[in-house]
Amino acid sequence: MEILKSQKHVFWEAFLVTILIFAIGVIAGVIFENWRANKIDYLYKESEITLSDIRAQGEIASSLPLDCGEAISQNIAFADRIFKEAELLSRYEGAQTLTEQINLEHKKYDILRALLWSNSIALKKKCKADFHTVVYIYDYNEPSMDTKAKQGVFSRILAELKEDKGQEIVLIPFAGDNNLSSVSLMMGLYNVSESELPVILIDEKTKINELGTVEEVEKFLK
Amino acid sequence: MSILPIIYLVYMFITLYFLALFLTIYSVNRKNIFSYPVPKKKYSVSFVVPAYNEGETIADTLEHIFNIDYLLEEVIVVNDASTDNTLEVLEKLKDKYPKLRVITHKKNSGSAAASQNTGLKAAKSELVAVVDADSYPSRDSIGKMVGFFNDEKVGAVTCPVVARNTDIFIEKLQAIEYKVIAFSRKLLDYVDAIYVTPGPLALYRRKALLEIGGFDEKNMTQDIEATWNLTAHGWDRRMSLSANVSSTVPSKFKEWYRQRRRWNVGGLQCIYKYKSYLFSSRKGSAMLGFFIVPFFIFSTFLGLVGLSIWAYLIARRVISWSLYTKYTIVASTPLLTLEDFYITPNFLNYLGVVLFLAGLVFTLVILAILKEKILMRENLLNIPFYMLIYISFYPFIMLGSIWHAVRGKKIWR
Repeated sequence: MEILKSQKHVFWEAFLVTILIFAIGVIAGVIFENWRANKIDYLYKESEITLSDIRAQGEIASSLPLDCGEAISQNIAFADRIFKEAELLSRYEGAQTLTEQINLEHKKYDILRALLWSNSIALKKKCKADFHTVVYIYDYNEPSMDTKAKQGVFSRILAELKEDKGQEIVLIPFAGDNNLSSVSLMMGLYNVSESELPVILIDEKTKINELGTVEEVEKFLK
Repeated sequence: MSILPIIYLVYMFITLYFLALFLTIYSVNRKNIFSYPVPKKKYSVSFVVPAYNEGETIADTLEHIFNIDYLLEEVIVVNDASTDNTLEVLEKLKDKYPKLRVITHKKNSGSAAASQNTGLKAAKSELVAVVDADSYPSRDSIGKMVGFFNDEKVGAVTCPVVARNTDIFIEKLQAIEYKVIAFSRKLLDYVDAIYVTPGPLALYRRKALLEIGGFDEKNMTQDIEATWNLTAHGWDRRMSLSANVSSTVPSKFKEWYRQRRRWNVGGLQCIYKYKSYLFSSRKGSAMLGFFIVPFFIFSTFLGLVGLSIWAYLIARRVISWSLYTKYTIVASTPLLTLEDFYITPNFLNYLGVVLFLAGLVFTLVILAILKEKILMRENLLNIPFYMLIYISFYPFIMLGSIWHAVRGKKIWR
């Protein structure tokens, strides 16, 4: 019995071992999530350089005749690229549990998308371009189950629309409730309030709040 | 961080803790895990077998008992006013086994505990072995258990219960479960935390049982209650991993569910009865207050919280899906695309897989240590099923048991 009693220290030993293994596990988790965030950050930096390049091109060539064809094609290619990166961002966001770093990446991307939107508007004016801007502004911070389901279907409609229309549209999805002044400014300019999210804004004129078919959305592009 | 990942992490910590605890105990004691003390004297042993409508199995049980290679004082079968041929079979066996004593209750008591108490009062020996009428002790079982009574403080000795019938799937799963339980109980023995001496075969010091007033006839798991009561009275409990008793396990889901429900309700009764011991360090019963009672309360609570979270997540998923389907119909978009099958695991998923694999390895190690080669070979697929599905039923049964207990139904079956 004395021998048995002396073994009760295993309760503490096991506790210490558990804390050690658990701490290693949690640190590994944080490193893992940071690795994902860094991956996103790297893509973001590449995108940021591309957008800066596009915008610089416009600034430098402001006094010279702009090669509209090239500028439009770069703008659309850039939009497509960050749309694809958004899918990866969204997947990693869904799998984020311990850290908040990916949320910050999301905010950075939102600013980038607002800039893209502004650039697209400017390009349309300057070049009298015939592409359409389809801006999808969604509820990001704790949407209700109903809003989440609605947004899931909106995303699907827009993905189908992009597949159908390809280079004819610049698709820009971003969060409208991330407290970013540039995003709020753009939303204010086109009378979109946070309370009405999710919203699809076509060519800065047509607001769509209610779900419809892809064909119904396409009608507004004519 | 939101609340759900925190809850998951808490569950993972607890699982990891118990895994670490068992592995630590095993690593310290691996060399003597099967050892048992040599008895310092010849202990007299009486057997007590409660029987109610056991006409089909009682002869086999008695054959196994009388085949035990230890000189028994007597075997007392208490016939609890059976309505089948139990008494007839017993009367016939009296000629074959002169040491067989049969006591018949005039009226059915409705509990095994009452029959066990009758047997206990009639027993003359220093030690009393209580055996269920459908259980079969191995020949060497008593010889490998009695030596533990060399220690005057030992009040009860238990041994592994093995599944007698392992032909069908549910029986095989129980066979794995019984092995895991037996091994874990032996490990708990090293920290003086055995919380049950199961009914199929338990050897008690008669003096200890009489001191606690015998078995609680109101409790649905009198074996758990007796063990707690012995602990509360400062008696030690031991386990001999070398001995064993085989018992018939339920072959149908309904029988299995009822058996588990009875165990749970009995456990809840014990928690209620011994609640005052919680975190109490009364002399000799600290393990009851600091490990056994909290462990039972905690596992009940964790099971129910886990079940509630699971139900909440399922409900959320169902509501989300119905809303999503509704909007999909409105928008005429496909309900599923390839993207929906793209899974991005999070860190907790990886941690869960690691813990599951650790649990799987632990189970395989137990089966290997207990030399269950056949069981291991046959159960390569059954073991993951046992760990993923079978164990997941526990909280549901607990919920059913609480409902059963609240409604006040106490049935001895």
